Amino acid sequence: MSVPCSLRVGPFTSNILLKKRYISFYFAIIWISFIPVLMEFWFYWQLLWSDTNALHFYLFLPLFGLLAYVSLVLSGILVAKIFLIVINVIHSPREGVFERTHKDKDYRYWNIRLIIKKYPIWIAHKFPFPFMDNICLRLFGVKTSFSNSLFEGWVDTEFIEFGKNIIIGQASIVQSSVIIGNLLIVKKVIIKDNVKIGAHSIVMPGTIIEENCILAAHSLTTVEQRLEKDWIYVGIPCEKYKINAFNEDNLEELIELNINVDGIREKYEKLYERGERTQVGFLQRKKEKDEKIEQEKQRWQKVPT
Amino acid sequence: MTTEKQDSNKPDLTIDFITSSSIGRINFRFLLIYIPVFWLGGLTTMIYAVAFIPKLEGWVASLFYLPASIFFMICLFIMGCVFFSKLLLVLINLLHKPREGIFKAEKGCKEFEFWQIRIQLKKISVWLLNNCPLPWMDVLAFRWFGVKVDFSSHMIDAWVDTEFIDFGRKVMVGQGAVVMSSMILGKYLIIKKVYLDDYTVVGGQTSVSPGTIIGRDTVLGALSTTTFNQVLEQSWIYFGFPAKKLKANKFAEVKPSSIKKIDVDNAIAYNVEFDINIDEDKRDLIKDNNNVNKNNKSEEN
Repeated sequence: MSVPCSLRVGPFTSNILLKKRYISFYFAIIWISFIPVLMEFWFYWQLLWSDTNALHFYLFLPLFGLLAYVSLVLSGILVAKIFLIVINVIHSPREGVFERTHKDKDYRYWNIRLIIKKYPIWIAHKFPFPFMDNICLRLFGVKTSFSNSLFEGWVDTEFIEFGKNIIIGQASIVQSSVIIGNLLIVKKVIIKDNVKIGAHSIVMPGTIIEENCILAAHSLTTVEQRLEKDWIYVGIPCEKYKINAFNEDNLEELIELNINVDGIREKYEKLYERGERTQVGFLQRKKEKDEKIEQEKQRWQKVPT
Repeated sequence: MTTEKQDSNKPDLTIDFITSSSIGRINFRFLLIYIPVFWLGGLTTMIYAVAFIPKLEGWVASLFYLPASIFFMICLFIMGCVFFSKLLLVLINLLHKPREGIFKAEKGCKEFEFWQIRIQLKKISVWLLNNCPLPWMDVLAFRWFGVKVDFSSHMIDAWVDTEFIDFGRKVMVGQGAVVMSSMILGKYLIIKKVYLDDYTVVGGQTSVSPGTIIGRDTVLGALSTTTFNQVLEQSWIYFGFPAKKLKANKFAEVKPSSIKKIDVDNAIAYNVEFDINIDEDKRDLIKDNNNVNKNNKSEEN
């Protein structure tokens, strides 16, 4: 499912230092990235348009639209990458604790980097197919593999190292830089193989999560916390909860034994019946719905005792 | 929540914490599904564009109808995509029927692979609808994909899985809430149906885990979570991590005739004077204007 706007809370490490001259980067990237798309359309036009019979032009136009969208995202990423290389030659990014004033060179260049990345990340994150996000992260220097699914949460684009088979839940945030008061903290985040991060959870800079860990939903790691191997962590800030036993084979029946489904089923038989009744005619359903609406009206008109 | 359970002989397999709804992994085979859906959806709009737009004569008429026709074309494209993805979904469900249970989340498990194909297929149309300015289009797509929803419910601002969910009437799912009918636990995928009964409210940023049953008139507060197979009783307000009973939902019984409306601007303000039972000589210690005035008056008398 795609993420609605309310889950897209965005980065808390956004560019605070807003300057007019940085916007020039932004415009340049958007402008240059549109040129290859327009050239593609010109070629397409030359190839298939004819004044008498334009059937083929219209027939393949939806497919071309998809292609143009993909190339728009890719060209945006590539143009930003060229800008980024130039900026990184002038001042290479590094970890540490910096002051949050524009006189500090690290903070200034951190801002410029974020502004350059903002458009390509936004357009890649908007893209419905997940692979674009991974390509974007890879080009910007995050070590990932295509077996990870990172596209439903927010992931910062520098100083992060991912393993394999990682799932990052909906609306969770993995950040490698954070602003606290007048300080900017940039620390590398390392997440190793088979880690599952729950929904709405936040991973702070400097966290190291070892193999086969589970970070449950609505939990938070502190700066430079180290989560041990094969444990489940819960809480704000997260603490050891129990050993992760779900990583072995052939446990399906054992898990099912623990779930007392029948007990709940007996208690709430009516609810289950209501949901499972599928073969009811259209007229019957309409009648039931009308009855319900009538009940609602009565409920609101009744005089309180 | 901080207790450590260590027992090497018996692994603790109770599910009393929740993780994320499992998200489809990138598989380039599945991308083949997108292309026909996009193409066929686009062709419906092309047919409209070719057949109707050139019939308008004069630039005034075509300019006048341009915004309406663009809006109509967007809607047509989305509906086309939803329609053709539904067709593909029916074909896939004929091959393998979706069912609840606990499966292995690895390549080779048939349930998991088909579950991923279904997710990928629905993703495109749900993505289009979430970026569409019409909120009720979301409900339409959910109904098409087999979720029992009414147009009185509202869930466009939230993540809601598109299968094994049962909505009642007038359900509100808040901003940023996550209602999931599937959960990834280590190597396992758990699919269990979620029931939201009539008039329930799910608050913002909450996570509802699979198997949850929320009773009639119940409110689940913001920033709270429900555990696996939790049952929230009727007419209660639940809150917390995991959700516990906070208080009875008296708000559900409120009728319009019991609500008193007061016109604040025209109401007369009364200053109520109250006396404190205290010794006469210690009255000066209380710095209260009323009492000070009283003392002054008594002195005058």
